[in-house]
Amino acid sequence: MTSARRGNPVLLGFAGLAGLLVILELLPRLGLVKDRYLPPASRIVAALADEAGTAAFWRALGDTLYAWAIGLLIAVAAGVLAGLVIGSVPVLRALTASTVEFLRPIPSVALIPLAVLLYGTRLGSTLLLVCYAAFWQVLVQVLYGVADVDPVAEETARSYRFSTWGRVRYVLWPTALPYVFTGVRLAASVALVLAITAELVIGAPGLGKEIATAQNSDAVPTMYALIVVTGALGVLINLLTRTGERRLLAWHQSVRGEVAI
Amino acid sequence: MRRRLIAGLALAVVASTVAACGSDKDSSGSGGSSGGVDKVKVGVIPIIDVAPLYLGQSKGFFKNRNIELTMEAGQGGAAIVPGVVSGEFQFGFSNLTSLMIAQTKNVPIKAVAAGVASTNAQGKDFGAVVVKAGSPIKTAKDLAGKKVSVNTLKNIGDTVTRESVRKAGGDPSNIQFVEMPFPNMQAALEKGDIDAAWVVEPQLSTIKAAGGREVASTFVDAAPNLTIAAYFTSQKLLSENADLAKRFTEAVNESLTYADGHPDEVRQVLSTYTKIDEKTRAAVVLPKWPVEINKTSAQTLAELGTKDGIFASAPDLNKLLP
Repeated sequence: MTSARRGNPVLLGFAGLAGLLVILELLPRLGLVKDRYLPPASRIVAALADEAGTAAFWRALGDTLYAWAIGLLIAVAAGVLAGLVIGSVPVLRALTASTVEFLRPIPSVALIPLAVLLYGTRLGSTLLLVCYAAFWQVLVQVLYGVADVDPVAEETARSYRFSTWGRVRYVLWPTALPYVFTGVRLAASVALVLAITAELVIGAPGLGKEIATAQNSDAVPTMYALIVVTGALGVLINLLTRTGERRLLAWHQSVRGEVAI
Repeated sequence: MRRRLIAGLALAVVASTVAACGSDKDSSGSGGSSGGVDKVKVGVIPIIDVAPLYLGQSKGFFKNRNIELTMEAGQGGAAIVPGVVSGEFQFGFSNLTSLMIAQTKNVPIKAVAAGVASTNAQGKDFGAVVVKAGSPIKTAKDLAGKKVSVNTLKNIGDTVTRESVRKAGGDPSNIQFVEMPFPNMQAALEKGDIDAAWVVEPQLSTIKAAGGREVASTFVDAAPNLTIAAYFTSQKLLSENADLAKRFTEAVNESLTYADGHPDEVRQVLSTYTKIDEKTRAAVVLPKWPVEINKTSAQTLAELGTKDGIFASAPDLNKLLP
């Protein structure tokens, strides 16, 4: 029963993907869209194979992943630390609430001119945008996590004279951890979006820049091939963070509950 | 007490990571020399025009003069002039109209080498105004009152297009110029969003291959042997490191001459920094790469631009050109 249920979605997923590819192959071939603007899937795949044979493609992929990983790492570290500190000191929380609410909705892409002024077309530009966008995702989740600490557990820990570190380690952290992971998962996707955007718009090295170059070179199939790569990257990153979350939170009710249902 | 200490420590860590977030390791930037070799960054647009630079680099023309060259290819030229002024790039590539606009705004820059020039052959240049197959527009004269796309408004594209219309006996005053990136122009033409497009290679070849028709070789119409773009640097670098500027100019000149004499190698080097496919690479019209900036043509461009109101005041070419 359960194995059939698990097997089917995968099969269905592949069938869906195959269907999409067939549609993408037929649309231009039947003349419903111009193949110059949307080439058939087979030509996109061929262009992808060509790209995979070039060193430039792998370098660009590496650049994108590097900017994504470094940006995410910094954002998560800063977000978790800031969240724990702000969340556990009520005065700080009250002090920063309006500032956070003011800064958080600023779309990272609005900072592109600033990034260009500061770092030109270098890695720093991408990092600035990635960090800014990902930081808030983590921070806000951690703040919720800290606020979710059970007051009874907290009081119990206090009455047993747990040290500050002990309370953070045994009460605060386990409560906040699922929220942290939600934050990381959201931040991981947002970081990829911003990394590609920065490369596409600013021209910082990476897949986004390759897409722009393909567009400027009238290499339409190559452009689509690179877009497919960014999509696949998004799926991979999502899978990775979900798997990581499930593994590391295997003890937590939210994950155990997911399995039981 | 202890709680406050921990909070303080954590805050300090946050502050430092946030600061690190923005920092960048390879912020050398200022073109410092190490072991007698100058590191030089050139701001370029990754198009056919700058092929000599890539070719010259692979031939060692820059290395021979103790220049370690890197090309910073951003999207669009808008960042290049500010990049050169701020020292992010030591040199830059830009069309003459943009450089003249900068000059009239007293931006401290100066051209150091020729960039790219028209082929001077009607119907066989690397930039032109095109229309789609079956368009009622036959000559440049018919462009009067029509919608024409250019990559940047109030720049070289509308100036030379107006001149083509004027020379064909039309009235250029009521052309509606629309700004859009070159790669979008073919679709806009075919959908009828615009009546004509001012394009350069490789889009010119692509549009022609799809049945588009050329109505004006705008660079040829504007002036004989028009110099379109140039390499430039900041006045600061010129006064502080005149020797580097001199070596850069020599290396660029050698590259330009080599590129002009070896079109096959130019088409080959395109594959290293663009994604233009092989068929298009073989078909594109290559520009000319003379070593001299044609001052007469630059003067014409300045006068035309002044007439169009692109410049706040007439550009001073003596200050701008070498």
